[in-house]
Amino acid sequence: MQVLAARALAKEYRMGQRSVTALAGVDFTVERGEFVAIMGPSGSGKSTLLHLIGGLDKPSAGDVTLAGQELAGLDDTAVTLLRRRNIGFVFQFYNLLPTLTAEENICLPLLIDGKDLRPYQERLSQLLHLVGLEDRRHHRPEQLSGGEQQRVALVRALITEPAILLADEPTGNLDSKTGLVIMELLRRLCDALTQTIVLVTHDPRTASYANRVVFLRDGRIAHELHIAPEVPLQQNLRSIVAMMQALETEADLVDADTGMPAPDLD
Amino acid sequence: MRLIRLMTLRSLRARPTRWLLSAFGIVLGVATIVAISITNRTALLSVTQLFESTSGRASLVVVPADKAEHGFPETVLRRVREHPEVDIAVPVLHVPTVLVNQSTPAEIDLDFFGTSTGGLLLYGIDTMSDVLVRTYQLRAGRFLGPENSLYEVVLTETFAKDNDIRLGTWIEVVAGNSVELLRVVGLMAKDGPGQLNGGAFGVMPLLAAQRLFYREGKIDQIDVVVSNASASGPRLEQVKEDLQARLGETYVVVYPASQGQRMTQMLGNYQIGLNFLSGIALFVGAFLIFNAFSMNVVERTREYGLLRTIGMTRPQVIRQVLVEAGLLGLGGSGVGSVIGVLLARGLTRAMALLLNQDLARVTVQGDLVVFGGVVGIVVAVLAAVVPAVQAGRITPLEALRVRGAQQTSWVIRRGWLPGIVLLALSTAALIANPFPYDVQFRAGSVVVFFSFAGGALLIPVTVTALERLLRSSISRLYGSSGRLGSANLQRAQARTALTVGALMVGVSMMVIVWAMTDSFKGDLDVWLRGYVGGDLYVTSSLPLGNDIWRRLETLPGVAAVTPVRYFEVTWVKPTGEREEITFMAVDPASYSRVTSFVYTEAMPDEQTALRMLAGGDVVFLSSIMAERSGLRAGDEITLLTRTGARRFTIAAVVLDYYNQGLVVQGSWVDMRRYFRQSGASAFMVKAAPDADAMAVKDEIEQAARRRDQLIIASNAALLQRVNGLMRQAFSMFDVLALISMLVGFFGITNTITMNVTERTREIGMLRCVGMTRAQIVRMVLAEAALMGVIGGVLGLIFGIMLSRIFMLAMTVMSGYRLTYVLGLGRVILAVVVAVAVSQAAALLPSFRAARSRILDAIHYE
Ligand SMILES: Nc1ncnc2c1ncn2[C@@H]1O[C@H](COP(=O)(O)OP(=O)(O)O)[C@@H](O)[C@H]1O
Ligand SMILES: [Mg+2]
Repeated sequence: MQVLAARALAKEYRMGQRSVTALAGVDFTVERGEFVAIMGPSGSGKSTLLHLIGGLDKPSAGDVTLAGQELAGLDDTAVTLLRRRNIGFVFQFYNLLPTLTAEENICLPLLIDGKDLRPYQERLSQLLHLVGLEDRRHHRPEQLSGGEQQRVALVRALITEPAILLADEPTGNLDSKTGLVIMELLRRLCDALTQTIVLVTHDPRTASYANRVVFLRDGRIAHELHIAPEVPLQQNLRSIVAMMQALETEADLVDADTGMPAPDLD
Repeated sequence: MRLIRLMTLRSLRARPTRWLLSAFGIVLGVATIVAISITNRTALLSVTQLFESTSGRASLVVVPADKAEHGFPETVLRRVREHPEVDIAVPVLHVPTVLVNQSTPAEIDLDFFGTSTGGLLLYGIDTMSDVLVRTYQLRAGRFLGPENSLYEVVLTETFAKDNDIRLGTWIEVVAGNSVELLRVVGLMAKDGPGQLNGGAFGVMPLLAAQRLFYREGKIDQIDVVVSNASASGPRLEQVKEDLQARLGETYVVVYPASQGQRMTQMLGNYQIGLNFLSGIALFVGAFLIFNAFSMNVVERTREYGLLRTIGMTRPQVIRQVLVEAGLLGLGGSGVGSVIGVLLARGLTRAMALLLNQDLARVTVQGDLVVFGGVVGIVVAVLAAVVPAVQAGRITPLEALRVRGAQQTSWVIRRGWLPGIVLLALSTAALIANPFPYDVQFRAGSVVVFFSFAGGALLIPVTVTALERLLRSSISRLYGSSGRLGSANLQRAQARTALTVGALMVGVSMMVIVWAMTDSFKGDLDVWLRGYVGGDLYVTSSLPLGNDIWRRLETLPGVAAVTPVRYFEVTWVKPTGEREEITFMAVDPASYSRVTSFVYTEAMPDEQTALRMLAGGDVVFLSSIMAERSGLRAGDEITLLTRTGARRFTIAAVVLDYYNQGLVVQGSWVDMRRYFRQSGASAFMVKAAPDADAMAVKDEIEQAARRRDQLIIASNAALLQRVNGLMRQAFSMFDVLALISMLVGFFGITNTITMNVTERTREIGMLRCVGMTRAQIVRMVLAEAALMGVIGGVLGLIFGIMLSRIFMLAMTVMSGYRLTYVLGLGRVILAVVVAVAVSQAAALLPSFRAARSRILDAIHYE
């Protein structure tokens, strides 16, 4: 069953006279239970794609269907409700409310929806157990480490049982060891809860946890790589790194006429 | 509910100063409204209660239509009693007198009605029937006997005590040119009728009073008790109309409470000022709330963006902000109500001072408190509407921007365009004043609001422009780091604009208070110097005879003496409406030797005007009456005289605030022939150039006979007292100005603290590369100083504009047309105060910035 389908998705940012094409026609589908990683050099349009499929921004052209609903036909409130009930978000910066405790932050989407919290207690305990934060429930963000904060953000994204979890560089702000703990978690979520996940990253090691890696370059899908679980991890990693290098070299070639290396946009 | 609790209360707790500050605005507004409305009602209630309690059970009172009339014949009593619904009708004779040995007040009592000189008020009553109407609480001795012709008196206990009068002794009172004896048979409480004339009151038998004071067959008032069935409502109104028809035009039938009308009417002017005050206070409150919420939205953009991302709808965000405002309003209103009730005590005391009248104790009045509270909450919520909508507009993506370039909003970049338009239009509207008379004030307030809004929109560009302009002087003052601070001002533009706005409101409040006080004082001074001209002011509780005038003139050291006499007359307006005003009679010839009138219109020749006045059938009109009635020199005014309505030509318009400006000046001759009054209320004495005023005062005191009962004051002392009274009356306004400056102070503290916290890393970096702590302090102070200068200058401009408009409104509503006074000293002081406040407010945050350790700063976040 398809959870997400994007057709001919394009996005152009206008900045005064100039306009930047962030996405130039992307077709992209995700099946239920899939774990997809989107990779690509800085500025290739990864975040833009994630924002468009998450209903955070409107495309210049093309269409997104999420959980059976076409986003283009919905008004702001309907899109908001869709986000509230069917999409979970995790970002590079954890974006927790500093005044609320971990548990309060997690329950925020339910509170916003006016839900009674009692039926969710079990799920809350289960998720907290899964991420290993049972004893941090009543801590405030400033009392938690970066990895812990990100895990709180993750539980917040999952508390509503969303159809899809969208993560933009969730490990980008963490040291590599903590980053891997988060990735292990996501993998387990996908396996144990058949949680559909779309994750943006530029780190090959992070991407190697997915079932499928989609490579973007200059706002287009340049390549797709299926990761076979039976193949050893190291081999998968090597093919991802090779792919990335190829993309980045080609990017260099684009700029070759100026004789300058491509600027690092991040 | 849980959501609201979590989001709202937590955010309130996270930024206590900010919320305290904005709640403070509401506290201020609500406290002022509650205090003022309670005070107004208390004053009104006290005045009506006083008259009700002095009238006892009487539900109607009959008095002569013409106040200048010396009472009316007793026979009227029978006509009143004949009415079937009238149960009891009792006669009263008013006898103002004075004890020969009465301890004369050391100084003249001043109030807003003019001067009052105490004396003793005696009521001649029918001893048998009066007790059926009024309750006299006897404290000692007995009440008046049934015999109506005995020379006995019952005095109030307090008066007797003040004057060392014992029960059973005889008192000497002045009656015309002789001294008469009355036996004190009883003492009563200063309660009910005992409150009359401030407690200097007594009752004596009617017949004896009429004989002693040459008023045979006359009475001044009839108190009427009607049958139970008609004691109230439309039935009473019917009886009142019946009686009025029965008695004809020469009498008026009124409700007891309405006798306080003059007093309550006088309260009106002060109340206009107070209402302005509560309007301003509310505006300041609304502005502070708006300010805090705008800042809050700017600061919490990421938070709102995140909430939108995880599924909060726009209406939910808006509701969230409004609930926050409502809660704040609720809290602020609660505290404000309590403070308001306390404030009402002080204000009532001020009012009692102005009225020279004891007022009832202030009680908590539920409806007024609730009203104030509701207004507070509504204003808080309304003020938060714009910020709430702004919060609703925040897109989810804004949560994801990582310290991205802060988007400068349209309002900041382009707001000056509509700002200029608004300002130009409102200024033009204020100058041209195209509004019809009756909506002038309301339209004016709306225009003022728009000009304020326009000004607020201009702040960002003004900040940019002035920052460039002042940068070099700032770096000269604060050193090279000052330049950095100056440039920093451009960074958090929205915050800066709002802070400068708060300071602007504070400074403009201060300027308004200064301008109003100074202008009022200025005019009052000019008038008083004429009004109590010469060097000494000689008065008494009873009218002063011609003989005293002559005796004063012959005393050594006296250059000139002129009499003035005040009495009430009825002014018949062209519409047929009547109003009680004061007639001030002067003797033009001697008057011009002692002092002079202050003419408000171009007066070609003072001598001509005085000659016209001396010629008779001519009056001078006070500027306030001229303003209110539209009459000017050359027009005619109709007054009720003893021989019927008579027209007087207005020869000049003069400045006169006596009796709140409800006064005309006429000649001594007209007073005698048209109003049959004699004697002077006071004499103004001019000392000879080589004589010392105080020596002349002693001279007069020695020459005066005991029963003349003269009270002599030097004009210098009088003026001083008036200024003291003014200061007290205006002290409330000063407090308000102080409070709004305090608000500016906290605003700056808050903003600078926020800026410093935000730039912790940057400051650490500056320390890293070698900036000293002192330099950091200077950098922060420089930023604040700029805010101070800009807020000061803008506040000054708005203060001047608004105060001019208030004066215009005052002219429209009460006729006061004041000469605008705002000295250069005040102008400079306004800016200096603003800068001083900014520096004081930024001191703590600047120290905090300087104290931060380099490593902490670098590892911040
Ligand atoms: N709000 C924006 N305004 C203008 N240009 C933008 C905006 N967001 C992204 N871009 C541009 O669009 C391109 C794609 O950006 P993004 O999707 O953030 O890339 P990635 O996440 O792959 O690094 C980049 O060139 C970036 O500069
Ligand atoms: Mg990105």
